[in-house]
Parts: sequence; C-alpha cells; structure tokens
Amino acid sequence: MIKVKIKCFSQVKYALGKNEIIMDLENGSTTLDLEQMIREQGKDKLNDVSLRVAVNQKYVQNGIELKDGDEVAFIPPVQGG
Amino acid sequence: MVVVEIINGPLIPFPSNDDRNQDGAELTFNGRVRDTEYEKAIDALEYEQYQGMAEVELTELAKEICQKFPISDLFCKHRMGRVGIGETSLHVSIWSQHRKEAIEAMDFFIFELKKRVPIWKWAILPDGTKVPSDCAH
Repeated sequence: MIKVKIKCFSQVKYALGKNEIIMDLENGSTTLDLEQMIREQGKDKLNDVSLRVAVNQKYVQNGIELKDGDEVAFIPPVQGG
Repeated sequence: MVVVEIINGPLIPFPSNDDRNQDGAELTFNGRVRDTEYEKAIDALEYEQYQGMAEVELTELAKEICQKFPISDLFCKHRMGRVGIGETSLHVSIWSQHRKEAIEAMDFFIFELKKRVPIWKWAILPDGTKVPSDCAH
C-alpha cells in the first residue's frame, strides 16, 4: 500500500467539503484511479468540472503511477486575476 | 527582471519610475473586483491559491513573458483572501522601449495567468455564504 495526500481547491473542496485528504492506495495506483475515486466521492458535483492533475506541485499528464508520500491536486479551471 | 508577489491584505501598487531612460512605455494593469458575478450581486471575492505552486507558476510565467516579448521588466502582485468590491486583486506593471510590446505582453501574461496559475475565486454572497465562482473572465 502507498499513502498519498490530496489537496482540494475550489469546486473539489466544495464537492468534498475538505481541504485535504490522506488516502491509502494499492501499489501501482495511478492519478486516473485516484481521480475516479475523487469524482465518486464528489457524487454529481464534479460531473461537469474538468480537472488537471498536479503531483508534488507540478502539472503532470494524467495517468502516471503514484508513489508513497506523493501530494496530488486535482485542479479545477483556474480563475486568477 | 521579474518581481512576483502573492500577498494577503491590501495591495500597494509598484511605484511609477522616472529613472528608466531606456523605456518609453510603462504599462500598468489593475484588475478590480466587480459587484456582480454572472449578473448576481456579491459582497466580495475570496481568492484561494495552491500555496507554493501558485507562486512558482506565476514566476515561471513572468519569466517566459520576458523571454517571449522584448520588454525590460514585468512586476506582478496578486492578492489572496477576501477582496472587497472595487479593490484591486491583480496589479501588473510592464516596462518596455515601445508601447506595442508592453501591451501585447500584458495581454498574453494575463491570458496565460488565467489558464495555468492555480488561483481560484470564491464569491461571497449577500447572505454570507461562500461558493466557488463561475467566472473565468
């Protein structure tokens, strides 16, 4: 098993009601697996929300394998300015 | 040179600079909070960032802009937390030899900022509730 930290922002935070989640995953789990879990937890609230993924504070291609201790953020459309 | 600051609390603009003898253009943009979001009244916006990544992305973007456009300097401040109606949330100053490159660089910088820098807005509604903003303008 591996342990990852999920940081939640904007619509993801709103849907899950949490700033941060610590989750245990099977070895070999990917960001896509995790995104599916997050979307299920968010019920319908994330259905229309596109999410980019960042691992350890860098944007990555979705689908990469996660490692123990990774920090993951599913990033809804950004709105700075 | 780039200067990037993500700040809590009131935003103090970068001072105008009369000593830049080589720069004929000094362009400043202030993004301010409107009193509506999608035609609904709001009391304020609350800005949220991915601490760490937001500043790194903003700094990298500012450096890319300085390489892409023939400008001298780009300075940027972005507020976090609650920002009241009419207050400045984003302040950018660009200096360049001529105006055209500063205007183009400013437009591209803000366009890219709104695509990739992990900062979000929450609308504070008149009844006090807080919801993620729908506005991506």
